[in-house]
Amino acid sequence: MLEVDIRVRRGAFHLEGAFRSDATIVALFGRSGSGKSTIVEAIAGLLRPDWGRIRVGGRTLFDSERGIDLTPEARRVGCVFQDALLFPHLSVRGNLAYGERLTPASERFVDRERVLSLLGLGPLLDRRPATLSGGERQRVALGRTLLASPRLLLLDEPLAALDAPRKAEILGYIELLRDNFRLPMVYVSHAVEEVTRLADRLVLVSDGRTLAEGDVAEVLSRADLKPHTGRFEAGAVIDARVARHDEKYGLTTLAFDGGELVVPNVDALPGEPVRARIRSRDVALALERPRAASFQNVLEAAVEGIGEEFGAIVEVALRVGPTPLAARITRESAERLELAPGKRVFALVKAIAIDRRSVGYA
Amino acid sequence: MLSGEELGIVVLSLEVALASVAASLPFAIGVAWLLARRDFPGKTALDALVHLPLVLPPVVVGYLLLVVLGRGGVLGPALASMGIVFAFRWTGAALAAAVMSFPLVVRAVRLSMEAIDPRIEAAGRTLGARPWRVFATLTLPLAWPGIVTGALLGFARSLGEFGATITFVASIPGETETLPLAIYAYTQVPGAEGHALRLSILSVILSLAALAVSEWLVRRRPGAARHA
Amino acid sequence: MAGAWRAAGHAAPRIAYGASSALARQADAGAPAELFLSADLDWIDWLAQRRRLSGPPVRLLANDLVLVAPAASQAQVRIAPGVDLVRALAGGRLAVADPRAVPAGRYARAALESLGAWKAVEPHLAPAADVRGALALVARGEAPLGIVYRTDALAEPRVRVVAAFPESSHPPIVYGMALLSGSGADARAFAAYAASPPARTLWARHGFRFP
Repeated sequence: MLEVDIRVRRGAFHLEGAFRSDATIVALFGRSGSGKSTIVEAIAGLLRPDWGRIRVGGRTLFDSERGIDLTPEARRVGCVFQDALLFPHLSVRGNLAYGERLTPASERFVDRERVLSLLGLGPLLDRRPATLSGGERQRVALGRTLLASPRLLLLDEPLAALDAPRKAEILGYIELLRDNFRLPMVYVSHAVEEVTRLADRLVLVSDGRTLAEGDVAEVLSRADLKPHTGRFEAGAVIDARVARHDEKYGLTTLAFDGGELVVPNVDALPGEPVRARIRSRDVALALERPRAASFQNVLEAAVEGIGEEFGAIVEVALRVGPTPLAARITRESAERLELAPGKRVFALVKAIAIDRRSVGYA
Repeated sequence: MLSGEELGIVVLSLEVALASVAASLPFAIGVAWLLARRDFPGKTALDALVHLPLVLPPVVVGYLLLVVLGRGGVLGPALASMGIVFAFRWTGAALAAAVMSFPLVVRAVRLSMEAIDPRIEAAGRTLGARPWRVFATLTLPLAWPGIVTGALLGFARSLGEFGATITFVASIPGETETLPLAIYAYTQVPGAEGHALRLSILSVILSLAALAVSEWLVRRRPGAARHA
Repeated sequence: MAGAWRAAGHAAPRIAYGASSALARQADAGAPAELFLSADLDWIDWLAQRRRLSGPPVRLLANDLVLVAPAASQAQVRIAPGVDLVRALAGGRLAVADPRAVPAGRYARAALESLGAWKAVEPHLAPAADVRGALALVARGEAPLGIVYRTDALAEPRVRVVAAFPESSHPPIVYGMALLSGSGADARAFAAYAASPPARTLWARHGFRFP
């Protein structure tokens, strides 16, 4: 159980953040500069809030009213940063051992061999940080933090400095860690794909305030939060289960409350829960079911509302059964189709648009 | 090749310079860390105080040492009762050299400490290291090149220290007559330039040797060297 | 002296202070000096040899050598042949200007040698950079005794004169004055003034004598 309720003022910057979470991974999501990193620094003990409380697993790390402020080394909170921050004068082996050595044997619950094999660190042990690639460095950083047997893992934009293939690779490793170590994590990011893939709960941070907290899919789909969740990333997140696989064509059918989605092969067994993100710019609308078109996904939907008009573009909020979905189309089209709340339409989504990056394992 | 007298002068100079570095380095590392990593009321004053020997004429520094630490000085009697005497002793020469070279050592160490990303030290803390351990296992090794540079600068400055030394402890052969003082004495005697030249060449050789040693020391720590 | 000259309505002389050796070398190297005043006649002769003088040197002033102690000290020493300075020092050192380098030091050595005290006291010396340095050591109580010029001792309130060295014990301490080649009328006038009776009163007040 993670409880945070703090106020921080540093010059012109003002943060008021409060949330609590039981989830394995809670994501702090928001734009750069919104205050996410400040919250993480406060949890780690690297920054002292002006007021508030921070509790992890029943242990009070900070309480301004009772005068409690544990030093970072006493908190047992592990941090993984955007730029790895490996110790340049030590080998990978030395880096990995740094925190491990400082943890009393009785508190160690992370198995060294397991970490080394899961993260593939064996061949890197005698290398020096300067000779490693970005992806390798982050793997070592993850390993180093894990080996200190932390009670909570903070990941502050760990993928931000990596290129796309590396991002996917490390994201995979983090998922592995989440599933294998059952360690509570706080994942900070401004990238929706990462958050939807990894997290169960989401805390939205904007302009120094925690605006909302709740289920990932739910928070990201809320129309009133659209300005904070980001215009270009706007879309819907759908909780679904794998229904069946089509071996011949390499497709997977996902069943959700309101219909089915066909997507390129998802690496999960039938029955497993997944989360699919559909960007509103990938959804087209039609008044009739197209007879001969390539769209794999033709969903019956009802228009819920038409959002603010940015010049040529409008955002149309839909419901496919009970599940929210959004479509971004031209204002001209919206008027031509005479879209209005309540109107029944067909949402057309290309299977290709829901690629590997958009599907996460819940 | 070297006369007995000249050898004695060289040995004394080396003793004084080495003692000066050994004495000032720990303090310089501490002060450099304070100035690099901490904010506190009076920080500017401390910075100014540290640089004072750089800007004051060496003779003035020597005189101040006399006033504070001399036999009749502010702290003199107290130190004497503890068995610490600087008057006319090589320890006085070492102290004068240490004071004069202190700002150079601090600057070099401070620069290399400021070059260390403070987030690396923060990472160490989150891994469970207490501040002292962070200092010993992270800050010091990463500041190593600066420390070596500082020691070299301090050593070289101490080898060449003249004004403060002669004002504080005079030029007593065998006790406080270091190379620079001996060279000076010889330049004062018309026709003794030859002696002065020999000793000067000796100084140059010593300084070059110190430079070579410092280069070797920096190279011994590849991780740190790359970082610098 | 320069002050008095200026008060009398003349252009203020610019004075460069320094060790005789350094000044002499500078004058030799062409520094724009017109008048050279030095306690070290050897250096004046050196300049003469190199044809840097525009006239014969003049013996302007004389000084005495004195033994000084810190003002608060009760030390009593009688200066006579065989004087036991080591005992008077009681473990401390005798502050002098460096006898190898500085005229004041050389005079001190000569005086001690003539009194038969040099050998005994040589290991107990504290050779300072110059006579002012030696004076400072005594004034600060660092050295229990020192040998300086009478003029210096009079100028420093924190030392007292314990005894004077007889004139016969050392070569005469004479200050020579010489006009350098290329000197102008102003310089010659000032040189003449410095040797005149009103100037002598001023000199005497500071402890100088006349050769």
